[in-house]
Amino acid sequence: MPEKLKIGVYTCYCSGNISHTVKCEQVAKVMETQPDVVVSRTDMSLCSDAGQSQIEQDIKELGVNRVVIGACAPSLHEQTFRNAVTRAGLNPYLYHHVGLREQDSWVHTSDGDGATCKAMHLMAAGIAKARHLQPLEPIRLEAEKQALVIGAGAAGLRAALDIARQGLRVVLVEKSPFLGGRMAQLESVFPTGEDARSLLHELIEKVVAHPSITVYTQAEVKGVTGYVGNYGVRILQHSRGVREEDSEKMIAACPRLVPDEFNYGMTERKVIYRAYPGCCPRGAAVDWDYYLDHPLRVDGKEIVLKDEPKTIDVSVGAIVAATGFDPYEPRQGEYGYGELQEVITLPQLIRRLALTKDDKTFQWNGRPVRDVALIHCVGSREIEGVDEPHEDGQVNNYCSRVCCTASLHMAVELHEKFPALNIFELYQDIRTYGRGHEDYYCHAMEGGVRFVRYSGEERPQVAAAPTGDTHPVLIKVKDSLTYNEELEIPVDLVVLAVGMKPRQIDDLVNMLKVSRGTDRFLLEVHPKLRPVETAVNGVILAGTAQGPMNIQESLSAASAAAAKVLTLLGRGKVELPPFVAAVDAEKCNGAGACVEACVYEGAIALQTFDENGNEVKRAVVTPANCVGCGACVAVCPNRAIDVQGWTIAQYEAMVDAIGMSIVDLVEAA
Amino acid sequence: MAQPIPPPQPKILILATLAGGYAGADSTGQSHIDYPANTYILPIMCPVMFPPEFFIRAFERGIDGIIVMYSGTDSPYKVEAEGTAKLINQTYALMKERGLDIRRLRLAAICTVCVKPFLKEVTQMAELLKGIGFVKSELAARPVSPSAQGATI
Amino acid sequence: MNNLKVDALVIGGGIAGMQAALDLGDQGFQVALVEREASIGGKMITLSKVFPTLDCCSCITTPKMSAVAHHPNITLITYCEVQSIQESGAGYGVAVLQKPRYVDESKCTGCRQCEYECPITVPSSFDRGLGSYRAIRVPFSTAVPQKAVLDMDNCLLCGKCEKACPVEAIDFTQQPQHFSIEATTIILATGFELTQLGAKKEYGAGKLANVIDPLMMERFLAPTGPYGRVLRPGDGMEPTTIAYVQCAGSRDQTQGIEYCSRVCCMYAIKQAMLINGALPLAEVTVYYMDIRTFGKGYEQFYQNAKAMGVEFVRGKVASIREDEKHNPIVKVELTEEGRIVERTHDLVVLSLGMIPTASPSTFNLLPASDGFISLPALNASPSAAQRPGIFVTGAAGGPMDIVDSIVTAGSAASAASSYIREKTGMKVPQQEVAYA
Repeated sequence: MPEKLKIGVYTCYCSGNISHTVKCEQVAKVMETQPDVVVSRTDMSLCSDAGQSQIEQDIKELGVNRVVIGACAPSLHEQTFRNAVTRAGLNPYLYHHVGLREQDSWVHTSDGDGATCKAMHLMAAGIAKARHLQPLEPIRLEAEKQALVIGAGAAGLRAALDIARQGLRVVLVEKSPFLGGRMAQLESVFPTGEDARSLLHELIEKVVAHPSITVYTQAEVKGVTGYVGNYGVRILQHSRGVREEDSEKMIAACPRLVPDEFNYGMTERKVIYRAYPGCCPRGAAVDWDYYLDHPLRVDGKEIVLKDEPKTIDVSVGAIVAATGFDPYEPRQGEYGYGELQEVITLPQLIRRLALTKDDKTFQWNGRPVRDVALIHCVGSREIEGVDEPHEDGQVNNYCSRVCCTASLHMAVELHEKFPALNIFELYQDIRTYGRGHEDYYCHAMEGGVRFVRYSGEERPQVAAAPTGDTHPVLIKVKDSLTYNEELEIPVDLVVLAVGMKPRQIDDLVNMLKVSRGTDRFLLEVHPKLRPVETAVNGVILAGTAQGPMNIQESLSAASAAAAKVLTLLGRGKVELPPFVAAVDAEKCNGAGACVEACVYEGAIALQTFDENGNEVKRAVVTPANCVGCGACVAVCPNRAIDVQGWTIAQYEAMVDAIGMSIVDLVEAA
Repeated sequence: MAQPIPPPQPKILILATLAGGYAGADSTGQSHIDYPANTYILPIMCPVMFPPEFFIRAFERGIDGIIVMYSGTDSPYKVEAEGTAKLINQTYALMKERGLDIRRLRLAAICTVCVKPFLKEVTQMAELLKGIGFVKSELAARPVSPSAQGATI
Repeated sequence: MNNLKVDALVIGGGIAGMQAALDLGDQGFQVALVEREASIGGKMITLSKVFPTLDCCSCITTPKMSAVAHHPNITLITYCEVQSIQESGAGYGVAVLQKPRYVDESKCTGCRQCEYECPITVPSSFDRGLGSYRAIRVPFSTAVPQKAVLDMDNCLLCGKCEKACPVEAIDFTQQPQHFSIEATTIILATGFELTQLGAKKEYGAGKLANVIDPLMMERFLAPTGPYGRVLRPGDGMEPTTIAYVQCAGSRDQTQGIEYCSRVCCMYAIKQAMLINGALPLAEVTVYYMDIRTFGKGYEQFYQNAKAMGVEFVRGKVASIREDEKHNPIVKVELTEEGRIVERTHDLVVLSLGMIPTASPSTFNLLPASDGFISLPALNASPSAAQRPGIFVTGAAGGPMDIVDSIVTAGSAASAASSYIREKTGMKVPQQEVAYA
């Protein structure tokens, strides 16, 4: 005899978030009268310990065996309540969560009655579903104790090292031939003034030396299959083309020069090259995009190098996306960029100063620089309707977080090195928020840096100065620090403090099925509850792939990502939700429509059984290979197959409850 | 109990994928933007699990409009884009047989942060139903077609 | 309390400490979490809603509190203070003082009968003095653990609670107890306090009736707060013009706090938006020098507030005095217009900054120039303190918001986990955590 249904129904106030709009007490009263409901309660905050305890107590003391909760979005706390229900000894899948906040109280604020009726219908539907709930067990699978980290910049390196130090194996994939990412292009880092590459190399050395980390350079992810615990990843690695010991010889033999991206195109490098002196790996590599089978003369012989890409398949339990950022590239003519030689970006200036470290004077294009202006918020804090949209129709309305401090750090360095230089900072708000950052602002002011405050609605105008002028460039700007005085600032150099944008990783985003935010950076599940996880279980974010961050913050985020990977894989197994197809063998007559409809290999097949001496065919599901799409469900002529936890009968019951008139619902009492 | 009973409104059922429309509806909630309350969102894994008869049955049980908010080609399921389109077309055929206005069923690709598209779909359907009214009237007037009988599941 | 031996000790049960403990506990490490107050939850549990999502704060905090309390690998010890940290064996020996609750925790069921009978009312520190509670009480409605605590300084020893208690949990004879925790690694999550409301005499030295601190405003805005609405503490009147004075406790050499406290711009904007909802007719003005909305989604949040009608005025507030009706009068130099004006508001919130709760010297650590715990390898191992095996998360290492605190908690947990494994060569027992 089946157990008697005893449904407990809980309507959460959500500390007012729900109860300000929805009359929770009325909802609870009506729910109390629904069939099989033994208790219907409200709570100020059901997710609190006291709220959870109440549910546990009802399960233990009232014998509640189905639980329906109306609260915030299930994405936030479904798991919280599953755990609570489990603690009380009930199967966690005998609980159903109804979203009354994001999909009701928050979106019907001006229609309280409508919101209350809607809550009643949704809760009644939840109860209707609960009547059809069956206990389910998660699918437990062995997990690969290996993680893939994509991107070997500061964040990727840190994540790889932390994961390996905690006992898992790591595959680290880097697209370029050299490790280090954007951090390698920096010189001194704020707020400590340490040398960026020294810090980076300490990290790289630990990564390279770690026995559990395999590093692939010139490698890209080409395919991802599977799920958390068991991802299959196909990596394509290009040939390095040059043996380390032959590096000097091959570089010398290489005649072709191309723009050097390490110096943002301001210099040229060979097609066979090292990114910078001391880079890792130490040996040179061939840039196959430019090499194009040009013959080289080496040791008196003519040779042609061949790229022989290797395909490497790895199995990993989790994937860390540490794909980083690109500096915003101003469009042609934006603040004169690309039109005036005297307009450059801050990353370019950092590289140029590094290249001319020993110069006693500050020169640009052979002319001494006496006056320099740094313009903040280029490609950041853009305003819809004011700033020109980018290719995708959007403006970058976010703050890039690091440019203020980076720019003031530069100003202080310039001032120390060239005390006679006049420096102008054109800004909207100075955002020197971190430890030691404000000191740069103070030093800059003390050092005589002139601050000019512009408004985002009226950005500074940069143009060539009239011929015969003392300076090549003239900036016009309204300064709100001097009561909106229109200033004309003649300068020798304009430096654009450009923001950050995510790398172009469309292919990877598609392969991983992760979401991007409106800012196009990769999106976390929830900034506070699950700040480094994506909605795809087992895909974790590290560093600036997620949004602008400085080095310290990237490293922190990377370590946090490592902690998440360890939580997922450290136990050597993962549990997947049980929402896969299940066949009712009594109803199945072996027609096989389900097998035809299924596109997942090995998910469902017909097997022969002996039934009272007769051979019969029945469909059998292999849960690990089933994704629960339900294509088999729709085609079954006998309704013999369902996705567990999401059955058609459950949906029909829910639809019936929603379709009921509110009068019937209330009067069903 | 003083129960406020507003006049009945046409009911919009929204079947929204967890990886798409359902999350999009949550995003809309997080933006605190109001839309009509006669909308009932049920989470689904993937629309392809529903046979066309499911929709007909829903109309018969008092649902006046249905929006399937799926993830389109961005779906985690290989079959979702193609399979759902096929399903909707089959359902349209059944609706026509029964004299149901096929505009009562809409398919829309809604992503996790698609606040504006979500609102547009909801508002459009609400407006449409204001115009064409409850499904009851169409069902009452329907010609009984032979294939309709026994098709309920 | 018996002596404990654990893999990791987390000091401080605010959001950062809870998250770090959960991250380590989930990996199978044995963790002790010690908290100074009678409940975990820290500053976060007192907040109303959190930026930039405007999620209700308790919706994020209380489940974490619950998870900590129920976690099979976490031992939670509240109402105790760390007295010293000494090197010992492979890790540290930590001396802890258990303060007397005067309530037997093992018996108390949190039924609150004692609280209902207690005749003494004292200002509630949870509500920042705006509301009141009894001398014996469960600290607040969502407290973890749900155990009463008696405030002996305000107790008359009348014995009513003792009579009311159905389980005989009241024990007036409890004494402070010393115990020790042996831990391989330590995570410091000691958090922050607000700078003093009365620190600046130009701003009324804390004596103006209607000049409040931002955590008081959080209690006004919180649905669980003492009033459930926004009012003036001076006379209970509903304010119609409210001003925020930014950098009232930061970037100010006269207070010796030259750093930016990072969160004040965002909490002021958030509160302005919430006030807009609670008091639709009220006008909110924010006096600022720089708006620092640098986090993910923060700039968009700021622009939304502007669009909602919150007034942002760039200006340095020179002084605040009050008129005969206790209306605060703000004297401000409007830098965009070049004049000094006086504006009267009904209520002024001083956007105070953050200072560390615990002195780094308690842990034999040096402070950085900002007074928070020094992090010597900021751009290499950002959570490492000077002593090996001691890691820092949240505002203990400098002002930061909740999002950043939670990320640093993961980072500190990761560093601690690596440290434990390398130090002890241990393999963590492969524990099942049900449905995690």
